[in-house]
Amino acid sequence: MQALDQDKKNTSNGAAGTSGSPAAPAPLIEASGLTKHYGGFSLQGIDLSVAEGEIVGFVGQNGAGKSTTIKALLGLIPVDGGAAQVLGTRSADLSRPAGAATKERIGVVFDTVSLPGHLSVADVGSIFARAYRAWDQRRFTQLAGTFGLDAARPVKELSRGMGMKLSLACALSHGAQVLILDEATAGLDPMARDEVLDRLRAFVEGPGRAVLMSSHITTDLERIADRVVCIDAGCIVFDLPKDVITDQMGIARCRVADFERIAASGVIPERGLRYLRHDYGIDVLVPDRFAFAESFPQVPCDRMTIDDYLALTLKGGVR
Amino acid sequence: MKRAYLIELAVLKNYVRQLIGLGFFVVICVSLGMQSIVAAPAVLTMMLLMMAAMSAAAYDEQSNWGLFRLTMPISRRDVVLARYGVILTLGLLGMAVGFLAVGLLMAVSSVVELPAGLSALLAYTPENMLATVFATMFCLVMGSVIASIVTPIYFRLGQTKATQYIPLIVVLIFIVPFLIINGTGVLDAGSIHLSSIMRALSDPLAFIETPAGVGAFSAVALVLSLSVLAASAAVSLRLYEKREL
Repeated sequence: MQALDQDKKNTSNGAAGTSGSPAAPAPLIEASGLTKHYGGFSLQGIDLSVAEGEIVGFVGQNGAGKSTTIKALLGLIPVDGGAAQVLGTRSADLSRPAGAATKERIGVVFDTVSLPGHLSVADVGSIFARAYRAWDQRRFTQLAGTFGLDAARPVKELSRGMGMKLSLACALSHGAQVLILDEATAGLDPMARDEVLDRLRAFVEGPGRAVLMSSHITTDLERIADRVVCIDAGCIVFDLPKDVITDQMGIARCRVADFERIAASGVIPERGLRYLRHDYGIDVLVPDRFAFAESFPQVPCDRMTIDDYLALTLKGGVR
Repeated sequence: MKRAYLIELAVLKNYVRQLIGLGFFVVICVSLGMQSIVAAPAVLTMMLLMMAAMSAAAYDEQSNWGLFRLTMPISRRDVVLARYGVILTLGLLGMAVGFLAVGLLMAVSSVVELPAGLSALLAYTPENMLATVFATMFCLVMGSVIASIVTPIYFRLGQTKATQYIPLIVVLIFIVPFLIINGTGVLDAGSIHLSSIMRALSDPLAFIETPAGVGAFSAVALVLSLSVLAASAAVSLRLYEKREL
């Protein structure tokens, strides 16, 4: 929680903060105090928001609660506490008739192709055409062509990557304003991933649009995310502008003696010194790598990656 | 609901073609066994009613389709009502295909002399037609009752889990009552005057064998089928509303 408090402070100081300003428009996706108890797992007071024009990366270990949060946002599971809304409609209403109009504007991709395997790619198009009033068959055909999807091929014969391309083609072909993607780039080859990331970036440039994207492929998020939210054991651990992590922060590669000097110097705030011990030394989380480089020019300080930050936050110690 | 109905039909489209093919195979076997085609529409009606309920539930679990479908602009209520709509549609489709096949066979047999005495077997007689209608409407009720029992269970438990429980539920509903009745001894000689019951039923049974009787039975069977399906749908709505997918 201390880390979260610190991170929230960082968020409010950083660019791209999305809340707090009275003039800021309502987020397109918002969860507040979302709580859900399963047998051996709980979501504990999840706060999350995605503003217009944002791509928010949602990260965390397997079983941390990403998919449960996404299901709760989409109204697919009842929650035990808190509230959530997507495009101004309460999540609880999304599975009811009142939510149908809003769901027209939400594109969803799960981590597997969630369609009966016997359907062909063309059948999938016709099912989506029946489901969505704004279905754009031309766009779907064009995207399917770009992704190399054969219209006659059954879903069960598609590889994981091709299946994800099909799911993305569907999500991008019904005039969605918000995309909620759960591991949508998993299984894609590097070229297809580039193509998809470019399309997501282009998508979010349109007015009134946003993307919430859970992913284990943090390099994807480094390329396109505006903000990164991390969940662990059902709690939000950090919610930071991506640029704060990748541009501002650093990771100091220390020896034990360096580490003690850094800790004693006070350059890194008390109780904010996050570190991860390795066989060959200690990695230290540096909130401002430029200031750190001035204070400790002899200690190598690399750019922070989201993976590094996750490791330091979830597995590292605090001093 | 219309969207959910059309989506459900689109998902089942290929399977229905296979099912009708399989249905005709069963019909041929039954007809050969009975030396008559009066049961053909009945078999197809019942098969499609039951298989629609079971296969639609099976597709729900394929690749998380049941969950993903709820991200589309359809509600849980739409899903349930569409499911019953599709079950009824396929039952009626089976009936229509069965009657069409029987009609065609009767027509062919009346204009062409078929070998091995088939023409006589397939020939139109009013009695055969009444028997065909009666059997079909009876199977409509039976198929609807079975679909009405299994569908709420599928909606509550999902197809995989329900498959484990359905044999137990069938035993509880269809066998245990008879065991209890038998155990209480009400069927022992002298406890029930079967002859008086048969006498009381003789008039209605005689009426059912007339065209007017078959017409009345058909109307009652249709109303009964729709009522059972409607009651089942009401139960499924409540169960599916609460189900965590």
